[in-house]
Amino acid sequence: MSLADPSSAGAIASDEGGHRVWATRFAGRRWPLFKLVLGTGALTVLTLGIYRFWQKTRVRRWLWSAIRPGGYPLEYAGDPLEKLLGFLIAVVILAFYIGIVNLLLMFASFALFQGNYAAYALSLVGVFPIWFYARYRARRYILARTRWLGLRFGLEPGAWGFAIRALWHGFLALITAGLLWPRMTFKLEQYRTNRTFFGETRMHQDGRWTMLYGAMKWHFINLPIAFGGLICIGANEALALPILTLGAVLWLYAAVYYRVETRIRLTNHKRAGALRLRLTASPLRIFWILASGHTLALLVSALPTLILLGLFLELQSLETLVEMGLENTPPIFAGLNRTALIALSVMAYFSIFLVWTACTQAWVTLPLIRHYAQGLEVIGTEAMATFGQRPRDDHPEAEGFAEALDVGASL
Amino acid sequence: MLTQAHAAHFFDGRTSARHPVTVRLSEDRIALVIEGKSLTAPLTWLLSDLRALTDTADDQRLTVTRHAQSDDESPHDVARLVILDPELIAWMHRTRPNLFRAETHPGAIRRLLIYAGGAAAACLLLLFVILPALANSLARLIPIEREIAFGKTVVRQMERQLNWLDAREGFHCTDPAGLTALDTLLQRLTGGRDMQYDISLQVFDSGMVNAFAAPGGQVVILRGLLDQAETPEEVAGVLAHELGHVESRDATRLTLRAAGSAGLLTMLIGDVTGGTAVAVLGERLLSASYTREAETAADNFALEMLANARVDVAGFGDFFDALAELEPFSLPEYLATHPATEGRAAGAHAFAAAQDETAPILTKTAWQALKAICD
Repeated sequence: MSLADPSSAGAIASDEGGHRVWATRFAGRRWPLFKLVLGTGALTVLTLGIYRFWQKTRVRRWLWSAIRPGGYPLEYAGDPLEKLLGFLIAVVILAFYIGIVNLLLMFASFALFQGNYAAYALSLVGVFPIWFYARYRARRYILARTRWLGLRFGLEPGAWGFAIRALWHGFLALITAGLLWPRMTFKLEQYRTNRTFFGETRMHQDGRWTMLYGAMKWHFINLPIAFGGLICIGANEALALPILTLGAVLWLYAAVYYRVETRIRLTNHKRAGALRLRLTASPLRIFWILASGHTLALLVSALPTLILLGLFLELQSLETLVEMGLENTPPIFAGLNRTALIALSVMAYFSIFLVWTACTQAWVTLPLIRHYAQGLEVIGTEAMATFGQRPRDDHPEAEGFAEALDVGASL
Repeated sequence: MLTQAHAAHFFDGRTSARHPVTVRLSEDRIALVIEGKSLTAPLTWLLSDLRALTDTADDQRLTVTRHAQSDDESPHDVARLVILDPELIAWMHRTRPNLFRAETHPGAIRRLLIYAGGAAAACLLLLFVILPALANSLARLIPIEREIAFGKTVVRQMERQLNWLDAREGFHCTDPAGLTALDTLLQRLTGGRDMQYDISLQVFDSGMVNAFAAPGGQVVILRGLLDQAETPEEVAGVLAHELGHVESRDATRLTLRAAGSAGLLTMLIGDVTGGTAVAVLGERLLSASYTREAETAADNFALEMLANARVDVAGFGDFFDALAELEPFSLPEYLATHPATEGRAAGAHAFAAAQDETAPILTKTAWQALKAICD
């Protein structure tokens, strides 16, 4: 049995305090991903959404194969059919829940609030616990289908425990005006990490929740600015707008900074057996990727949007035309023209979403993953060969709940 | 032709150890032989069983496995042979047409179809049996004053939407003579009847040929309908039809049912790539099939109401004749949810033929005033 020889696999290895360190390479380029997402997206539209399970699988396979700790790619082993099956299972369960709960809420809102907005708000609250439940289940599915060096990852069952904790910690964070937010971040990540496995080896989240406080830095810096802006509304309106704008941008940056910084600190305190992780990432760089990538996606998808707007106006004027003077318009021509216009509008409508998804995948998701991947190091890989396989987690419902509820299990 | 042994590496799927191996063709040329010092014994993989991972980020690397019955996601061996040698990769692509074939476990499709059938049955049961039944019984439990308040909100929302389309001020039509004529119409129809609701009847200045009933007795006629109608009896027919909806609480029942089914459809179709529009369309279609029943009931109610008030039902039929001519152009909203117009016209004409003596519902002047209610 031989240990991995990273140099031949093109990996970068170094030594540190007697431990061997593997850097992570990222091998994917934007254009192929863009084409893959666009092509599978078009198929998704043509199949009324059924192909989306294949799309998800294929995009994940691609991304996973591009992430290479020590030069060895991850493998995504998920299957589209099991996703479709899981979705069908979730649909049956959720159909009754969503259908009947929504109807009852509408009834309550009818009888109590004389309007339908209360029902929409309440139905959101009712979905919260299932939302966390679904997220955990989706993570479990994705880890169970992720492999590295031929070994499966895994996550122990515990979705309801996660949902209850998420609600409780979220409640605590809410009533302390966000002061206990780092505690929530830490506890939830700890819950998940301590149930995560690489092969048969359990991972551990070390550290304390207070170590995440530093990640709140920019929120604290932003606090006087936001307050100043609010005070200015009353005192000096000309000054209020620029200050509030600055506050809003800073707040966005603070949110990104928190996310990146907590991820770094949490990752640096994770271990699996003799392995440790180390992550370096730049919040500023992540902020730039998010801002520039979304701007680009917005600009590109503005094109089909403009076409759609033009078509829409054309349709409107035609309708007015019909309303005003029927006898002047040859009816068959008008009918055909209208059908063609509607067909074009439908195409333009869907291409907005297709272009948007493809652009954000290629210019946001990919650079984000690349940045994180290239900053990830695995320490202690001299013990790499000693990990053993874990049994398969069947998980027949796959990520069906997350899929049905749309809770961003996209990766 | 694969002549000499090529270097590769191998993961057996039992441990994370990487095995440096050599790969060559077997003597009988039907299998690949994988040999390595760290392997307990050489492996023989049949060429026809070789499969490779698809959709990978680059083509410099080929990860090969083999077709085998296993409990894995795909019917593949958990072991992986990783080939970086360009010559060997090219040989694989050239000689193995099944390399990237998508495979499923036997019975997977059948299982999927059974589940799909089950899910479809459950959704249909919910959409067409459980939700309508629940909506019907709950609609009766809502206190009337709540229903009226809600109906007013709906009318305001509707007004905003129409107003946005037409972008015009002075939306409520308030010409006094016109209002009097409208009231005459309403009194003639409802006189001597025991109605559950106080009817609040309005005309909006919109070009659409339409009328609608919101919860709690709120009835709105759009100006376009008055323009289109040739006799007051036609307007009376449409009004009677809307009153039919009011009496059977159709709007309330529909709103309750729609609250349930809209959430369900959004979930089914998903929000990605513009699915929301499809979901809305689906909800529209569903409403159409469900309301067609309610529409027929409202038609029957209208015919009976007109007959009772001794209004000529032929007007009702005439109006549908006029609508049928308009059909391909400007009336998708109205018609989508209603029975086929020509059939309704025929029904009304048949009813009219058997009708007793009738009396005009409005005088000529009152009719002119009603038509000019928005001026």
